[in-house]
Amino acid sequence: MRMPRLRPSTLSGRYARTAYLFLLPAILFFAFMFYLPIGNVVATSLRTGPQADQWAGFGNYAQALADPAVAHSFLVTLTFAVAEVIGSIVLGLALALALDQPLRGRVVFRVLLLVPYLTSVAIVGLLWRNILDPELGILNRVLMAAGLPGQQWLNTAPLLTIAAVTLWQSVGYTMVLFLAGLQGIPETYYEAAKIDGADAWRRFWRITLPLLAPTTLFVSVMAVISGLQAFGQAYIITNGGPGDATDLLVFHIFNVAFRTRDFGYSSAQSVLLLIVIVAFTVIQLRAGRRGEVTY
Amino acid sequence: MSPHPSRPARLSRRDMFRLAGAAAAVPVLSACAGAPTTQSSAAPGTFTVYWNAGHDYQAYRKVIAEFEQANKVKVNLQKYQWPDLRTRLLADFASGTVPDLVEEPGGWVQEFAISGNARSLQDFVDRDGEAMGFPSDWQPITVERNSYQGKVYGVQLHLTCNTLLYNKAMLRDAGLEVPTTWEEFLDAARALTKDGVYGAALNQDYTYVHPWLAQAGVTPYNRETGAIMEPRADAIAAMQFQADLIHKHKAAPVPVSSTVYSGPQKLFSAKRAAMIFTGPWDLDPITKTAPDLELGIAAPLKNKVHATQAAGVSMFVPATASRPELSWDFIKRITALEVEQAATKETGMLMPRVSWTRLPEVQQHEQIKAFADALPIAEDSTQEVRLTGQLGRWEEQLKLMYQQVIIQNEPAAEALEAFAKAAEGFLK
Amino acid sequence: MVRKSLLYGLLALASLVTVLPLLYMVSLSLQTEAETLSPDAVIWPESPQWGNYAELFTRAPFGNFIVNSLVVAGAITLAHLIFDPLVGYVFAKFRFPLRNTLFVALLATLMVPFFVRMIPLYVLMANMGWLDTYQGLITPFLMDAFGIFLMRQFIQPIPDDLISAARIDGASELAIYRRVILPQTRPALAVLALFTFVFQWNEFLWPLVATSTPEMRTIPVGLTLFNQEYFTLWHLTAAGSVILFVPTAVLFVLTQRYFVRGIALTGLK
Repeated sequence: MRMPRLRPSTLSGRYARTAYLFLLPAILFFAFMFYLPIGNVVATSLRTGPQADQWAGFGNYAQALADPAVAHSFLVTLTFAVAEVIGSIVLGLALALALDQPLRGRVVFRVLLLVPYLTSVAIVGLLWRNILDPELGILNRVLMAAGLPGQQWLNTAPLLTIAAVTLWQSVGYTMVLFLAGLQGIPETYYEAAKIDGADAWRRFWRITLPLLAPTTLFVSVMAVISGLQAFGQAYIITNGGPGDATDLLVFHIFNVAFRTRDFGYSSAQSVLLLIVIVAFTVIQLRAGRRGEVTY
Repeated sequence: MSPHPSRPARLSRRDMFRLAGAAAAVPVLSACAGAPTTQSSAAPGTFTVYWNAGHDYQAYRKVIAEFEQANKVKVNLQKYQWPDLRTRLLADFASGTVPDLVEEPGGWVQEFAISGNARSLQDFVDRDGEAMGFPSDWQPITVERNSYQGKVYGVQLHLTCNTLLYNKAMLRDAGLEVPTTWEEFLDAARALTKDGVYGAALNQDYTYVHPWLAQAGVTPYNRETGAIMEPRADAIAAMQFQADLIHKHKAAPVPVSSTVYSGPQKLFSAKRAAMIFTGPWDLDPITKTAPDLELGIAAPLKNKVHATQAAGVSMFVPATASRPELSWDFIKRITALEVEQAATKETGMLMPRVSWTRLPEVQQHEQIKAFADALPIAEDSTQEVRLTGQLGRWEEQLKLMYQQVIIQNEPAAEALEAFAKAAEGFLK
Repeated sequence: MVRKSLLYGLLALASLVTVLPLLYMVSLSLQTEAETLSPDAVIWPESPQWGNYAELFTRAPFGNFIVNSLVVAGAITLAHLIFDPLVGYVFAKFRFPLRNTLFVALLATLMVPFFVRMIPLYVLMANMGWLDTYQGLITPFLMDAFGIFLMRQFIQPIPDDLISAARIDGASELAIYRRVILPQTRPALAVLALFTFVFQWNEFLWPLVATSTPEMRTIPVGLTLFNQEYFTLWHLTAAGSVILFVPTAVLFVLTQRYFVRGIALTGLK
């Protein structure tokens, strides 16, 4: 696998020693707290049995690749992730742009919009489960009071509903990232553009978006990763149902590990997921770099 | 611009020192914060018990105090929700640091006996069984479901079952008798459905399918013949009956897939559903939220067979627990008849001893008696699957099939066909 | 002006959507148990039950939960503020062998769901005797690729000339990092502190398995004590959730001023 080339720096390679010294604690930390466990997971993925103590070779991988439940789960997850990425970038950027302007009371809006993110996924899940209940939930009672028919949100569009709930919680977080990114764009660029007679729309496409590229790259990479790793929504709200409609892959893997107690099989699926996410990220980083060059 | 040639910038000694200091600071700080460094079961004076957060009864607190006194230990009662308890326990099994005693929700004893993680209690039963009335005083089903290859691995703590709860006033107003068969139930449910009230409410959770299957005379799995969900026609009829109740007759709401079982109880308490099927765990929320509701508890329905599903928690000792004598002493104390009596008085929970059913607290209490009367026809529906060690996969498929039929209204025959095909794959 | 009113209207609507469910949580925390279980959802309790908050402390060592959560999330946030910008700076501004490989290897750690490495970590911590201790709760989270990646993205646009100029002035490498780089990254550091704290404050799985005594539990794990076997004690769970929410909200109010245009990048002008 070719690694994405990072932006060239003007500092010369003679600072490599400094770089490694600065990196030393991190290298030690990630080796012990991540790569040691990951190595363990890879080793487990080659075994089977409730104690994961019988050699299975690549049997778990073969099984996972042929398992229709895994394939279905992957599709569900991909759909969910796409909805999340698009939704969080569009909404997050829109809110950040709105709140980057000199509006009265923007601090209040910022706080209010970020409030759901500050709450735990578990609490949010429990709350929305109550709110969305078709017979007794507040949402349908409000709808019916307004003369509208009540909806079976979690039965007719379960995946979109939990995607919306997730977006509801995470949009403030994307907004904050974009807000921080917007601070990095010097005001002078906008002033120059104004003098050149560029309207707001052009200024957005010609200045804001290109200069925001590192942030956008970061947000989209993180959105893909967290979308593909979504778990809590299925774990708390839908339990993967109805049927297997919201059987997100990480939820599926968790169940294989902790409900079925097949750590070998769950580890193999984790490794496969890891490979997929790394591939997605490398593609994004490359695309992101190409983007930076074009601007 | 390149750095000045005469001063090759490099990390000074002082910089390195500072960096090392920063790297070390955090772990050192946290270590200084001073936390108890006891390990769960390794600590000699501590006896670690994993318990369900909902079962911390006063009656048990009293027993624990006596146990501590008698054995000169401190009990660390760690309370968890079931899924969390399982996560923790599997991590413990992997690390080898295990608790002294574990309460389990039903089904884990045989699973962990097969995997070698549970300790056989047969030696203790041989020694003390007669004195404590085990297994003679325990309902037979509770002994069987906690045994593996002829040896006892766990002791039942609570025994519950599923039966019919109904709103007396609603049935009276509609001029209906309490249903005893499926046909009567369907007629009643249809007659009761009007003005935003449903005749019945079914649970989204697949485990609630078992009473229906049992009443239809269906055996989920037969290890000897390998038959799955047979007789199949009856299994299809049982599933279709529930789906039709919801989708064809509209006499029950469409359940929502979730992690909770309280949906029907809430509708029942809200007087939005006239009949539900549940166990004694729903009595407390019903009386709390709808004190004026005239609660009726009837026998389980009868179709081809008069039967229902048994449930309830047990206790077991991990295989590598260091003081099994103490663990056994805990089990003996907490299953004594007086303790069962006190716990029933305190919480209304149902207990596994046969002599418990004869207690005045049981016989004179209308609601508890109704459940106790159903215990003799209660079955453990998943035992045969459990003994194959494949219960996890089975449940995953069963949930899929159940929700496909009940919620998504897919034809029962096709869903069951797909279920059987999947199950054959891993049961073989 | 029409545009501005429209903007206000949309923002107000969005804020309403985000806040209403949480106000409902506050309402739940003030209801009686019967009200929370009531099928006709109670919008606001008849008489607010402030005693619910006191009950948290009598039914469980909730004071311990709060202290534990503060110590653990606080220490981890501090560690992130020390390590993440430093490592991010190295990846943004230094060239050295294996840089790209190391960076992808670093990012790859983000792709592993926590529960996947949970059991190996649990075994590791058990062997070190760190279960049920603060160091056991903190160590697995001392830094993460998210923070490092975030800092790298924010440090990258800082002109290299600033660094070179400092080197010419004879500043040591660590001094350059501290005096030149760090002051430029305040908005990003604020974001990092906020996100790290929020994430760790709400972390559930690791404190669940890594603690053994009730006194060492953190708030999210402690809150599970208020669930019964088949139903939730909503009034207490909601009260706990409100308490859980307060520190993160305070932290956000404190950090959000760094997101105001103009303060952040004075050094660039």
